Amino acid sequence: MKQERFVAMHSREWDRLQAWLNALERRRGQTLRQDSALDFPREYRRLCQQLALARGRGYSHEVTERLQRIVQQGHRVLYRPPAPRWHRVAVFLLAGFPQLVRSQWRCMLAAAALFFLPALLMLVLMQWKPDLAQTVFSSEQLAGFEKMYDPANEHIGRSSGTDMQMFGYYVLNNVSIAFRSFASGLFFGVGAVYVLGANGVLIGGVAGHLTAIGYGGPFWRFVVGHSAFELGALVIAGGAGLQLGLTLLAPGRQRRGPALVAAGWIGAQLALGAFAMLLVAAFIEAYWSSIAALPDVVKFGSGGLMWVLVLGWLWRGGRGGTHGA
Amino acid sequence: MIDTIREIETPEGIALRLRAAGALPRAQAWMIDLILRVVLLCVAMVPLSLLGVAGNGLAMLFMFALMWAYPVVCEVCMAGQTLGKRALGLRVVNADGSPVAWLPSVVRNLLRVVDILPGVYAVGLVCTLVDPHARRLGDIVAGTMVIHAGELPAGQQVPEVPALPLPLVLPVDEQAALVEFAERAGQLSVHRQEELANLLEPLTGCRDGAAVRRLVAHVNWLLGRS
Repeated sequence: MKQERFVAMHSREWDRLQAWLNALERRRGQTLRQDSALDFPREYRRLCQQLALARGRGYSHEVTERLQRIVQQGHRVLYRPPAPRWHRVAVFLLAGFPQLVRSQWRCMLAAAALFFLPALLMLVLMQWKPDLAQTVFSSEQLAGFEKMYDPANEHIGRSSGTDMQMFGYYVLNNVSIAFRSFASGLFFGVGAVYVLGANGVLIGGVAGHLTAIGYGGPFWRFVVGHSAFELGALVIAGGAGLQLGLTLLAPGRQRRGPALVAAGWIGAQLALGAFAMLLVAAFIEAYWSSIAALPDVVKFGSGGLMWVLVLGWLWRGGRGGTHGA
Repeated sequence: MIDTIREIETPEGIALRLRAAGALPRAQAWMIDLILRVVLLCVAMVPLSLLGVAGNGLAMLFMFALMWAYPVVCEVCMAGQTLGKRALGLRVVNADGSPVAWLPSVVRNLLRVVDILPGVYAVGLVCTLVDPHARRLGDIVAGTMVIHAGELPAGQQVPEVPALPLPLVLPVDEQAALVEFAERAGQLSVHRQEELANLLEPLTGCRDGAAVRRLVAHVNWLLGRS
């Protein structure tokens, strides 16, 4: 069949499909509810066949480009990702995320060791040699820490600012750190190792110094509430970065490309879970941890409960039963 | 042929031809996005500053959203285009040409942290230059690519002249080559047109301008014009 005849036969249905797709881009819901939406998959496949014919018969670009354009537009509509559902988010947080963390338990264990060992080491060293604080932190930093956790403060854990301001600050700061520790893991895991180790030294150092100078009371009362969510999220984000770097180093029985894509999907889900944990941590830190008036029993009791909750969630979540996910 | 076109076979059995976008338009799109976000933040600061220190916290939350959530939400909800990409006619798609989904978009935007190192996208630039489909590291790990969404420049009409039947039957690919010559003749200099047409002297039986006109007439016959 000659090209002109082919175009004359079909150009009206091409125009119709094109018009429908254009309308879809402008008014999505209304266009999808029309009856003509039901015909779309069939018409699209017809168009694909016509494009294949046009290419096979060597028709001019004028025709093939025109068809190709409609096909691309239709492909985007037919194969668009499913709309997100809140139910799936809940299932992921309750079951999928803990399962994923457990499936990567080697990286998580390594990340926990990389963070907690330097932290504990610094904590102990500071008791033994308090002068060490001067070499790790500058004197302005030390003065800042001491001001934040001065037992005379009415609000602990901060020198100024309201709950809302600190909530914004914690979200921006902590989540950015977690995301960066995941992403920098792509450098063969070095970035994640550095972020975990540096934060371990920093946090252990502050804790050790404040305990050594006798400000331990306010400090531990402040951090115990949100520590479970915050440190857990940091370790998980770092572990996600380690996992990404290790996949690059040793992809196993796969080519590096597909192995990296799979690791990236796992890592992104872990990072999103860590993000949710950090939101909870920031909320607790801004609105609960800063209340100084509560008795020790409540503070440490709630903190311990949080640790039990977080560890129990990560350990048992999504186990048993095949519901939902 | 050296080309930036990536062909992807769809379930319908045809090849989608995606044109990969290089570093320059993508950098421009990123600049537009950056300026837009800075302006948005500045505008939002005005009412927020009236709220005092609490407004400070809200401003930081807003900054967080602009930093991390803006590209992901835009890409997923606006068919693979942030506002800057829309201005430049770019689009993010999955490796199979379908619109980018949530997780791949999250991966490619989180790994921007790596591509942006050191300083001004050096890793990303090198990566787009090396990769055949101009993907940065984040795109490779996410399994996505950035393509030109706009249409090809027009002006490929075959000039209409009275049709002239071909003296012999040509195979399909040779017919296609003739059609392509007629389509692209307008972009070539007259001498180049004649030089190409002279190669077919055994077919046309004439040279130079007459040969070009004869070939275009043959193509009109091939396309089925009268």
